[in-house]
Amino acid sequence: MGYILWIVPIIGILLLTAVKDKKLFPIISVAKASILLIAAIFITRTVMLQGKVSYKNLQGLLYIDSVSIIALDIVVVIGLLSAIYSINYLNLELLHGKIDIKRLKLYYILMDTFIYTMVLALTVNNMGIMWIAIEATTLASAFLVGFYNDKEAIEGTWKYVIICSVGIGVAFLGIILLQLSSIGVLKEANFLQWTNLYENATALKPSILKLAFIFLLVGFGTKAGLAPMHTWLPDAHSQAPSPISALLSGVLLNSAMYGIIRMVSIVNKGLGESIFTGRLLISLGVLSIGTSAIFIITQKDYKRLLAYSSIEHMGIIAIAIGLFTPASIFAALFHMINHSATKAMLFFSSGNILQKYETKDIGKIKNLLKILPVSGFVFFAGIFAIAGTPPFSVFASEFNVILSIFNNHNFILGGVVIGFISIIFVGIAMTLFKMFYGTSPEHLIPGDINIPGEIVMVCMLIFILITGIYMPLQVKGLLLSAEKIIIGG
Amino acid sequence: MENYLAALSLLILFSAFVLMANKRIKSYIATIRVQSIFIAIAVGIEGAKSLKTTGHFDILLVCVLIIAFKVIYIPRLLHRTYGKVEYRVAKDFFLNIPILILICCLLVVFSYFTLSTVEGINTGESNVQMVNSISIVLIGMFFMISRKKAIGQIVGFLVIENGLFVTALFSTKGMPLIIDIGIFIDLITAVMIMGIISFKINEKFDSIDTNKLKNLRG
Amino acid sequence: MKNIIYYLVQLASIILLSPLVNGIIKKLKAFTQKRKGAPILQMYYDLYKLFRKNSVVSEVTSWIFKVTPYIFVSTSIIAGFLVPITTLVKPNSFPGDFIMLISILALGRFFMVLAGLDAGSTFGGMGSSREVMISVLIEPAIFVSFFTLGLYAKSTSIYNIMLEAKKIGIPLLHPMFIMIFLAMLIIIISETSRIPVDDPSTHLELTMVHEAMLLEYSGRHLALMELGAAIKQLIYITLIVNIFLPTDQLIGNFGIASIFISILIYAIKVIAVSTLIAIGEVSTVKLSLFSIPNLAALSFILSFLGFLQFFVLGR
Repeated sequence: MGYILWIVPIIGILLLTAVKDKKLFPIISVAKASILLIAAIFITRTVMLQGKVSYKNLQGLLYIDSVSIIALDIVVVIGLLSAIYSINYLNLELLHGKIDIKRLKLYYILMDTFIYTMVLALTVNNMGIMWIAIEATTLASAFLVGFYNDKEAIEGTWKYVIICSVGIGVAFLGIILLQLSSIGVLKEANFLQWTNLYENATALKPSILKLAFIFLLVGFGTKAGLAPMHTWLPDAHSQAPSPISALLSGVLLNSAMYGIIRMVSIVNKGLGESIFTGRLLISLGVLSIGTSAIFIITQKDYKRLLAYSSIEHMGIIAIAIGLFTPASIFAALFHMINHSATKAMLFFSSGNILQKYETKDIGKIKNLLKILPVSGFVFFAGIFAIAGTPPFSVFASEFNVILSIFNNHNFILGGVVIGFISIIFVGIAMTLFKMFYGTSPEHLIPGDINIPGEIVMVCMLIFILITGIYMPLQVKGLLLSAEKIIIGG
Repeated sequence: MENYLAALSLLILFSAFVLMANKRIKSYIATIRVQSIFIAIAVGIEGAKSLKTTGHFDILLVCVLIIAFKVIYIPRLLHRTYGKVEYRVAKDFFLNIPILILICCLLVVFSYFTLSTVEGINTGESNVQMVNSISIVLIGMFFMISRKKAIGQIVGFLVIENGLFVTALFSTKGMPLIIDIGIFIDLITAVMIMGIISFKINEKFDSIDTNKLKNLRG
Repeated sequence: MKNIIYYLVQLASIILLSPLVNGIIKKLKAFTQKRKGAPILQMYYDLYKLFRKNSVVSEVTSWIFKVTPYIFVSTSIIAGFLVPITTLVKPNSFPGDFIMLISILALGRFFMVLAGLDAGSTFGGMGSSREVMISVLIEPAIFVSFFTLGLYAKSTSIYNIMLEAKKIGIPLLHPMFIMIFLAMLIIIISETSRIPVDDPSTHLELTMVHEAMLLEYSGRHLALMELGAAIKQLIYITLIVNIFLPTDQLIGNFGIASIFISILIYAIKVIAVSTLIAIGEVSTVKLSLFSIPNLAALSFILSFLGFLQFFVLGR
């Protein structure tokens, strides 16, 4: 069953390259995404019952445990939703003449490759192959970011490729040092397997492990959008087409964070204490939240604002992981799910706004609720959700994070985090509320576009409302078992 | 034999310094070719040694891959990209060359001091090789930030990858074969993508000076 | 008694071999340019001709102008006594003698610079200022190289350094020696005014560095200056040859005959290195003056890397 995750996307991509009719592209894409979703549901059930999924072939390369399945489910679900949303989004772009059929085909092929590399990164046991997959995500999404081929898109693409490639190179140095620390402890065939590294973590050489962690944190932190390595994020996420922005924000940042989580569990077990990694992660997290607070207040482009909010939430997750208490890791995993859902929903609705108003400037958008009733309402609710208002789910997970900070007696840290989150709330409210007042430009016809996308958005809105109030017992069990794997029981 | 590897790692480091001292894009490409040749020789020696002792020829396969890609294909790709974009004789870097070289000197000293506190690699031969290799990575990064032209940044990225490969080679006698092949595929795809994007930058901005890319600020 | 003979032999070898090096380099350059060129012994004929001529001295010069050629050639010869041409014969060596070497050569250069300014011509002043700039830039490289070699040999005497290098066998395979060898190549090029730092056969005064300071000299003064420069060049080549390519251990030590054989082999090595210099001269162009700091920085880096190797590796 696990191999379906690896084989089906390849078949989908090959089919896409062969087919010429433009009506078939979205059908193949959505079909592939649905098959992946069904496979993921089956694997989730297996993981919930048995604890992990791993096969003997290829030296146990395919390995899915509770941590992977959480991230994998997010990837697969948001992948399917993006595919559904892109159908009408791209048809409208084709109609307006912004792209042609060749670019449409390129879009679908690259999007499927992008999702495939992320699935690969989350399901392998070998840290080296995980690194290769994460580098491949940068390369697969490079031309997706520069899809519209104008000056700003190309600038965003160049920054994205260069900064992420250098970051990933630094991460590779960390992996080399990780391998160096395990010489003499592990057999050569098992060098970079996560399971083996985790079992023998206490026997690895501590000082090399510390150095490896620093490099890996900087490297994967670049990909995850932690400040001060975040500079590519606002450009890339704002210039990409909206479904791709949703994928980048909601899914890719999670995959990079997943890499950091795997590394943190090895290093903390090896060093026996979590202060070293905790200090680094908490400082990067606070820096991220602070940076995004400063930049959100002065934003003029709503997609860039959403990108900075992604940086903020990744900072919160980093702080939670750095604390390394059971409650904080639970909150971090929960926050990953909530942030992905909410951010994807926001990017979808902002995509509709962009297509209707044809501008990214906040000042030029007025009277949103009249022109786009459903999308506007979803956007309105989403702003509150992402800023952390109850009863939405982001509030629940942020509350859990702050609670765990205070339970750990880090009062100053808690105060700083609350202060920055409040500044961000004020910033988002000040800048984005302008979009709902005023009179709209003359030529715009009120009415919704992209009906399938709207259905997707409303479903996600209901989802984040429910998740904020109620968590099914199985999901809670899954999160708890994931947290046990990370901390080590 | 051990001395050969230390001497080769030093020559590779020296070629990184020569790269820093260059002013023209054609010389960047030529220097990186020479650096890749040195790396290929080092890998070849390692491969011959491992062939004699264990009979595995995967390291020799990696040597062949290096010669095929880093020595022949990628410089040719860069030449082609460079031929298609506009050539303007403009100063490519911010500070002058002797200061850049002195800063690289400081980077080497810095990596030496960092590695001297890490036990396991702070004695003897492995120390010198690790210091050289990590300095190459740092010099590659510094090269990238000190050049304004896009192709200079691609060359800096290649130097970083070279340095990473040399680090892997000297510290752990190479990575498993599948990871090496994956790294090569990644590297070539990355260079191709960067070449295509440089070409697009040239189309839109009429130059490959990345200082001109400042529309997205804040 | 033996010592006096050794000193005389050293003196004779240095004075007699130095014009030969120049002749070989010029012949090789002509050969690669498809010319027949002047005969190899041309410089001997030139010196003989110049010694017989009267020298014309400008009226506006001071005593420095007349004294400099003698000082220059004598400093070169004294420096020649510090550098052994064969390690079987111990020259006048004492601790710290390479600092003495550099200082003595600097004394000669100082007077040459003053003499260039003395005649009051613009070209002479230009040459002097350029010469001073180049020598200042190349000095860190010289000192770091020599101190590293001294650290390695645990002594600051050139003779002891050569003995230590002789013990290794083939020093050029040791990473530290490779770096210092490359640094010394660049040092030689700068100190002896070869391409790419300065073109010795140019006739354009605006591009001259070393030649510009000699413009006013004629007759026996010119002969002495040329001889001094040739001896300086030979000293640097001797340093390279004896530290990095020692062959004396192959000969053994069986009396006077071995000394003569080693001097012969030394001459062959000198010819080989001058061939290398000639090949370098025809392959590159003269650097513009403002690119010379880059070359100097590169040679400093080379010697620094050699030092770092020694520091990290031990011996």
